[in-house]
Amino acid sequence: MGRMDAHFRAFSFVDRLTCVEPGRRVRGRYAIPAGLGHFPLSLVGEAVGQLAAWAAMAAADFKHRPVAGLAGRIELLQDTAPGQVVELAADVESVDAESVQYSGEAHANGTPVIRLTDCVGPMMPVSDFDDPEALRARFGALQGQPAANGSFPGLPELAFQRTGGERGQRVTASFRVPSQAPFFADHFPRRPVFPGSLLMHINLQLGAALAAELPPPAHRRWLPATIQDMKLRSFIAPGTSLLLEARLKQHAQDSVCLALETRAGNDLIATARLLLRAGGER
Amino acid sequence: MNNSEITKDEIMAVYPKIAEIIAAALPCEVEKVKLEASLIDTLGAQSIDFLDIVFRLERAFKVKIPRGKIVEEARGSLSQAEFEQAGVVTPAGLARLKEFLREVPAERFPSPLKVADIPRLFTTETFCKIVVRQQRTGAATPAPATA
Repeated sequence: MGRMDAHFRAFSFVDRLTCVEPGRRVRGRYAIPAGLGHFPLSLVGEAVGQLAAWAAMAAADFKHRPVAGLAGRIELLQDTAPGQVVELAADVESVDAESVQYSGEAHANGTPVIRLTDCVGPMMPVSDFDDPEALRARFGALQGQPAANGSFPGLPELAFQRTGGERGQRVTASFRVPSQAPFFADHFPRRPVFPGSLLMHINLQLGAALAAELPPPAHRRWLPATIQDMKLRSFIAPGTSLLLEARLKQHAQDSVCLALETRAGNDLIATARLLLRAGGER
Repeated sequence: MNNSEITKDEIMAVYPKIAEIIAAALPCEVEKVKLEASLIDTLGAQSIDFLDIVFRLERAFKVKIPRGKIVEEARGSLSQAEFEQAGVVTPAGLARLKEFLREVPAERFPSPLKVADIPRLFTTETFCKIVVRQQRTGAATPAPATA
């Protein structure tokens, strides 16, 4: 896929904007391509973030856009499946040239699947990352006919290498961000940045690896439930080598809290807490 | 309302909670968040941390802190052109800034000072003063979203 072909295709998760009040509220939807093997919930979170970004960019006349940022609380409510249509909603609490503050959620088949609360995105000059006029045109198009389904080609393998830790207490791992991947052409055309939602996806897997070393709750499993205070402190460039750590903070009868940290060298790049709850059948 | 009207007692009343918030946002040990600590140079804060801290302060103290509030208040009666030229703080702006950020030792003000580097001056006490000011002005109700 060429760079221009990939724009609004390789990592875009809003097919249609159904209601837009710039700077206030926005509603939209995304049809998860039926041909995919898997569509992680972190990408549904990305879709909600992208929806809020459209409202923020429209309010900023496409001069500024949110890039990365922080989320106070992300509730992981239910998995989605390829072929489902996800209804997206975001309410913007404030937006100016410096930041956008919003909350949002996504539903599939009438059931909430993810809820984002107290999110803040730093607003960056659009022209550093993308073509403002292309974004403006896309914004108009999304309010017309829905984009063709099946644009997203799926994710490349994003596996970490476990490097150490203490069983049930701490897991460390390394992860090298791909130097090239289709999603970089869309995120973003003028300055590729590794999406925070993919880092969240990898960190959820690391958290699950640590939780698997803990005694399981009676007849149930540890399931990721909530991500708290997730913060991306720096943009992650293609090819960056990352060091990941998941550390046990609290272990109760029916809940586990993990601290997640991502570093590049000595620099702390991202932090979050992951709450897992006892659920499901073993 | 000027800085001299903010008393040490007022600052110390909010300091423990603000230290807790800064420590949680960075993250670092709360003991390191001294009143005089520079958030960037001492505690290693980055620009996203300032957004995070302001957001947490708003929630904790039920105040609204407009973005860019510190620089705007520091500018006071000076126009933007009187305060800065081509991204560099003017001598008049620098004098105003030193008056406004009294908690920052004079030797920490570089000359010339770029507007973008003003946050490097901010200390824990700077944030305590912002909160006290916003509490006084009664900005307790979040403003509606504006474009």
